[in-house]
Amino acid sequence: MSLEQLIRSRRTIRKFNNLPVSQELVISLLQRAEQLCPYEGEARWRYVFAGSPEARERLANYMLEKVTDNKVAKLLLGKLSESFHKRIVEVPANVIVIAKKSSNSQINDENYGNVCRILQNFQLLGWEERLGMAWITEPYIQTETFFERITIQEDERFVGILQIGYFDKQPKGRGRTPAERKWKERQEEELIR
Amino acid sequence: MKLADTHIASLSSLTLAQRPIPQALVLELLNHAVWAPTHRLREPWSFIYISHDNRGQLDFLNKQASAHLILTMKADNDVHKEDENAAAIFCLIQNFQLLAWEKKLAVKVSFHEWMYDRSYMNKLNVPEKEKLVAVLDLGFYIESQAASPAPSAELNWSLL
Repeated sequence: MSLEQLIRSRRTIRKFNNLPVSQELVISLLQRAEQLCPYEGEARWRYVFAGSPEARERLANYMLEKVTDNKVAKLLLGKLSESFHKRIVEVPANVIVIAKKSSNSQINDENYGNVCRILQNFQLLGWEERLGMAWITEPYIQTETFFERITIQEDERFVGILQIGYFDKQPKGRGRTPAERKWKERQEEELIR
Repeated sequence: MKLADTHIASLSSLTLAQRPIPQALVLELLNHAVWAPTHRLREPWSFIYISHDNRGQLDFLNKQASAHLILTMKADNDVHKEDENAAAIFCLIQNFQLLAWEKKLAVKVSFHEWMYDRSYMNKLNVPEKEKLVAVLDLGFYIESQAASPAPSAELNWSLL
């Protein structure tokens, strides 16, 4: 597959089959992903892995804690939250990604940018191995309680959870706006003044 | 070649060929790069392109480069949404850097202090409610330079 094809054919995968995904494979893909992202400065980010049945169960509990804590929500959602819980537990592997914050906007944005670039490499390298992923940042997990559970410190920020697994069905692409429509040019002469 | 077997280097570590970059090439690469993951298909990116006719006259940009691609996005009061939008743009940037490398075009992803300064944004015609995400410095590298594999570092890894 050419690089163009790889980039254009990659899809977010939310429904995985039950083939296992090993921690070793995830680590080796992430290491390659970091090598493919030249950056300056230090690496100020970290990964927390949930792949064992116990860790996946814990992660599902943490993710739904806010929802099931609320009695009304629990009553209303009932079965729905149960099946949701099951779906989360069934995800073969999860990588929680956490980045250091900085009071300096430039350092803060650069660090976040570097880790996001690495995660795109990771998704592409995974796709090359027929491994699908979803980058989860849904508002329902963006809570103090969840962040505490996954050990985010005061000086850190949540980047997302990468849900990882093999899949049987590939969703269709949804098309993109041509770059020309979001493009402006500035002449150097105009900027010198 | 598989992406897994590719090695790339940043523009800042390479010797560059002093030749202009066809705008059509940048747009061609961007039209592949926009296949980045983007939450709810918001496609939050916009591009401002500056090519150097008189190299080195713009002191706030990397003088080594032949052209610059500035990425901007709409500012949003919702912090999470803004984070998601920035993340999508960095995925696009990464796609672009990988694609460009195949065309002997090197990229440096630059961040500057002035990116947070409204007077510079006005100069660049960045609309009021937009912010700068990154500046890509672009230049063709001299072909004989092969990127050596970056050393594989230990990941900062723990278990939940």
